[in-house]
Amino acid sequence: MTIRADIERMPGDELLRLARVLKVPIVVRTIKRSWLVDKVLKELEKRDAKIPIALESPAIQISSVTKNFGKKTAVRKLNLRVEPGEIVGLVGPNGAGKTTTLRMLTGIIRATSGSIQVDGYDIVDEAISAKERIGYIPEKPTCYPSLTAREYVMFTSRIYRVPHETALIRMREFVELFQFEEFIDTYIGTLSKGNLQRALLIGIFAREPPYILALDEPIYGLDPRGAWNLKKLLRRLRDEGSAVLISTHILEVAADLCDRFVIMNEADVVGHGTLEELQKLHPDTNSLEEIFLSLTGGIPE
Amino acid sequence: MSTFKLMKNEIRMLRNQFKSAITSPSMLLFYSVTFFGIFFVSSVISTFVSFAPLFFNFSVLLEETLDMGMIFAATAVLSASSVVSGYFGLGPAAVLTLEDESLMMSAPVKPHQIFLSRYARRILRKISFITIGVLAILPLLISASLLFFAAVSLLAIIIISLEINYFLGAMSSYVRLWISRKTQHRLRHLIVIALGAIALLPAHPWLLSNVSAIYVAPSNALALFLTESTGIFSQGIPPLYSIIFIMIGFMVCLLLTANICGYEYYELFSDNKGREQTEGRFSKIIRGEIDFSKSQFTDPMIWIMMKDFWSRLRSPMQIWKYIYAVVGTVFVLYLNIVKPIWFPPIIVPIGLAFAIVPAFILMMILFVQMGSVTSMLSFVDERDNIYLLKASPFNPRDIILSKYLLSLFEVAITVIPACGFLIYFIHIEGYLAVITLIAPLTILFTATGSAFGAYVPVMTNDPKTLPVPLALSFPIINLGLGAIMVLLVAIFSDSMLILVILPLFTLSLVYFFLALSLRALNTYK
Ligand SMILES: Nc1ncnc2c1ncn2[C@@H]1O[C@H](COP(=O)(O)OP(=O)(O)OP(=O)(O)O)[C@@H](O)[C@H]1O
Ligand SMILES: [Mg+2]
Repeated sequence: MTIRADIERMPGDELLRLARVLKVPIVVRTIKRSWLVDKVLKELEKRDAKIPIALESPAIQISSVTKNFGKKTAVRKLNLRVEPGEIVGLVGPNGAGKTTTLRMLTGIIRATSGSIQVDGYDIVDEAISAKERIGYIPEKPTCYPSLTAREYVMFTSRIYRVPHETALIRMREFVELFQFEEFIDTYIGTLSKGNLQRALLIGIFAREPPYILALDEPIYGLDPRGAWNLKKLLRRLRDEGSAVLISTHILEVAADLCDRFVIMNEADVVGHGTLEELQKLHPDTNSLEEIFLSLTGGIPE
Repeated sequence: MSTFKLMKNEIRMLRNQFKSAITSPSMLLFYSVTFFGIFFVSSVISTFVSFAPLFFNFSVLLEETLDMGMIFAATAVLSASSVVSGYFGLGPAAVLTLEDESLMMSAPVKPHQIFLSRYARRILRKISFITIGVLAILPLLISASLLFFAAVSLLAIIIISLEINYFLGAMSSYVRLWISRKTQHRLRHLIVIALGAIALLPAHPWLLSNVSAIYVAPSNALALFLTESTGIFSQGIPPLYSIIFIMIGFMVCLLLTANICGYEYYELFSDNKGREQTEGRFSKIIRGEIDFSKSQFTDPMIWIMMKDFWSRLRSPMQIWKYIYAVVGTVFVLYLNIVKPIWFPPIIVPIGLAFAIVPAFILMMILFVQMGSVTSMLSFVDERDNIYLLKASPFNPRDIILSKYLLSLFEVAITVIPACGFLIYFIHIEGYLAVITLIAPLTILFTATGSAFGAYVPVMTNDPKTLPVPLALSFPIINLGLGAIMVLLVAIFSDSMLILVILPLFTLSLVYFFLALSLRALNTYK
């Protein structure tokens, strides 16, 4: 099992902490590592395996949503749904309204009109239940600078009511995946942009799947290896039943990762569907890039 | 439950901040400069002036010139002004940060939980600063033979009352949201007048003398505490009552404020941030997106000044500052020329005459100091754009000089009315000689301000928040420099040498601080 591997990779203090959380009786002064690992695993087995919860269908339902900033309309009559087990790409030029859409979806700002449901919960009326499911990476990642990455991950997992042992094990798993070990105890204020993004991602994935992810340009700050890892991870999560809405204008990433696309331009949806469907509609194009360009102002000569 | 988790997190952040502050030498240096500076200044002051008789005289003077109603009126005006300014403010949204927006607003926590935890941190911070501050002014307290306990409790009660006022402001911001939801009528904001009037009501003389329950009102409780604990106009009510009233008021207001924290404050925060961003974008012009050769000025220095001037003018406070400068100057000129009867200057009692010159000078230095805060902020206002500015094809010297010159203008226009008022209000012998010091003080303090502001990005990665130790040691250093300048003038006042020494002193220090700013600009993180 992968849990065994994660636990074996834990440094000593983390393992001890996990043992303490699980209330493994430790009476002797010196203990063998392998003994402790076995004990911890046995203790984990004793806790009956949770029946994995499945997301409502659709996981994200945006119905006829409009957002005005004063006189300016940032999003107009947007309809969008994301099913569990699906990665949807929200693409569009700068200022199209992608970030605004994700901010409304995550309950940061309110739609001027229309309604948004996350996992069946209305984001306005049942905000807490809806938000508990969402994992959000903002466009400009920021985090409390005076926390260490570890403190931050533990803090968010408490806010999202993740059992402590789960958070510890999952944190280890994703620290390995994103090669974050050397930064886990540094202050977030001193992390580079990409590493900050990794810290936020670890904070999200320390929670239990399935997820509803709202990712605003998540690839942008990551190096090629980090990006590759994230893409692989997202595909795995999709196959396990998570729903992902990704905003990006890096079209290679979108074409490579997403099952479906919603193309926005100046607050409106100008095209949607799978790559094949879009290509059928626009027979004279032969890539997502060309479809994108022709839908958002024409292909330049 | 969640609230406690959030609070624990806030406290952890505070602890980490403290840890990193005492382990980084520059922060520690500034903290100790502040602490020992205040300690030093207060012990110097207390050896020069014996405060105990001063306080005694002062309370007699107060009883002679004021009447009791005025104290109650003053605290009520204080409350009313926070209610009115709070109405136009952000309310509880003011405690939110960018980090909260990206992490907490999308998390399953309620707005009031964020508010309460953030507030807990604010209180803890305040308590620790007060403790340090009281320790630093210990010599003064001892010399004034004020009881330590009395001084601390006075301070604490005043601060709690200010917190109550902050809550009142927050609630009044809620009224704005509420009424804007009910009606879009153009006159709806007139309700702020009613709110202000309600805050003033408890000080009404008839209520004060006939309805004893009115003393529970926070502003009255504060006034009662002030009169009873200092003995001025004491009515013989134990101060404990007023303390209880104030604590009750505090709890009630805290809970009410927590209760009004709703998701609409998220919206308010984002809106406000959007506005800031457009301001920031404006300053990006300097990146070279604008063609300098087409501008009518060829000098990049003037360009930075123009940009600063206009981008500052876009912030809502700035226009009021200019209005204040113009109206204040006109008013002060009127006062000094016409000397109206309806606004007499204070007549200093004979017993206090010995203290009036130092008091005048101290107030003068403080006024100039308060004005010069702008110059410290001129770099902080750039926010992250400071890096853009640094990366732009300007000579760093031009950047510093342009910031300095524009700040000098801004500081001067705030200082002039304040000092003019001071001159009119407190007449001292030979004030002409003293007020000429305003010019060198302004020139010098603006330079220290520039240097301090320029050092912000050196000390932190986050150029938009002023580190606390810098903010604290700025006035202290200025106070020290001002004191030295006054001392120089006092020593050489009889010889012509002063005409050389004073400019030399000022200009060399200005040069020093500007050089320091330059050095700072060249060593950004
Ligand atoms: N708080 C705000 N106040 C006013 N206008 C806003 C605000 N937030 C966004 N807008 C406007 O709404 C429009 C959509 O912005 P949004 O950030 O959603 O674009 P985007 O698709 O994410 O663009 P990008 O690819 O550049 O990130 C823009 O024109 C923007 O100026
Ligand atoms: Mg965006």
